[in-house]
Amino acid sequence: MDIITSLAIVAFAALIHASFQLSVSVLTLLSGHAIGSKKSRARVLHLTTSYTTGAGVMTLLVLSFASLIFLHAFGTTIPLIVWALACGLVLGIGIAVWLFYYRKGTKGTELWIPRSFAKFLNDRSKSTKYGAEAFSLGLTSILAELLFIIPTVSIAALVLIELPSEWQLIGIAIYTLISLLGLIIVWSLIGSGTSLARIQKWRTENKRFLQFTAGSALVVLGFFVYVSKIMTTISGSM
Amino acid sequence: MQEGGPLIHVVKNSHHRHPEPFDREKLHKSIVAACLSAGTPTGHAESIGRRVTDEVLLWLESRPEVTSNDLRRVASKYLRTYHPDASFLYEHHRATL
Repeated sequence: MDIITSLAIVAFAALIHASFQLSVSVLTLLSGHAIGSKKSRARVLHLTTSYTTGAGVMTLLVLSFASLIFLHAFGTTIPLIVWALACGLVLGIGIAVWLFYYRKGTKGTELWIPRSFAKFLNDRSKSTKYGAEAFSLGLTSILAELLFIIPTVSIAALVLIELPSEWQLIGIAIYTLISLLGLIIVWSLIGSGTSLARIQKWRTENKRFLQFTAGSALVVLGFFVYVSKIMTTISGSM
Repeated sequence: MQEGGPLIHVVKNSHHRHPEPFDREKLHKSIVAACLSAGTPTGHAESIGRRVTDEVLLWLESRPEVTSNDLRRVASKYLRTYHPDASFLYEHHRATL
């Protein structure tokens, strides 16, 4: 796979990551509690900036950690069976996202995550008062989202370790920045004074569309990687 | 109800927690918070909070025990007439995550 194709896969995986809603939900809760408790605009901006930075740092760490594990386990040449497993994981989670991403029978944007996770994040967002706490909440929200981002992180990590080292760093930076797009959009909307009700209404009205696109994009990613890595290698060796 | 009136118990959503006495201030604060989150200026939010709390208190008069869900639903219904966006946030707050 050439460098441009590899980076395109990393960027596409990051875009799918950005479409997941857990960290965006926590950001809206955090800013809702901060605005509701009459914190100044500057304070709200400080908290949301710290939160977004925390989410970015954890994304960077998770991707780097996954890359390191894969590098130690397989070296720079990934066996076809590992690619096949990764594609299976991406397709499986893609179908699961179609079916389960949002909880059925709820009016809002309630996600299919353990309720204890949701309660913990909700309580933490309510009691967050300092930048350091918001930063930690950003770190935690990415960990809580792991179930959904494992496939995108795995594919990105597998692609990255086959690249030359300088391109690996660029790839990690591309993934981290693009995966934060959803958060950055909501952060800038909150910072520019857009009503949280407007943001939350948009998210609620379009939740099925977001669910469908995230699931479909995962299926497309799995299929594309399967064809470009496995099919091409098998047909090349025949 | 507080301030000399009959005591109203609020049955919490999670049944592990004991019912707690109705707290007018807590209701008022939560409505004001929803209004502020919807971009309402502080003074207006306080005024809406007072009006909605009074209407909820009237509704509570004949009820010795209510669930926190009922309280949220009724407060959200009254809030809708003053501020539909704040009412949306108030109603969906628990279903955000």
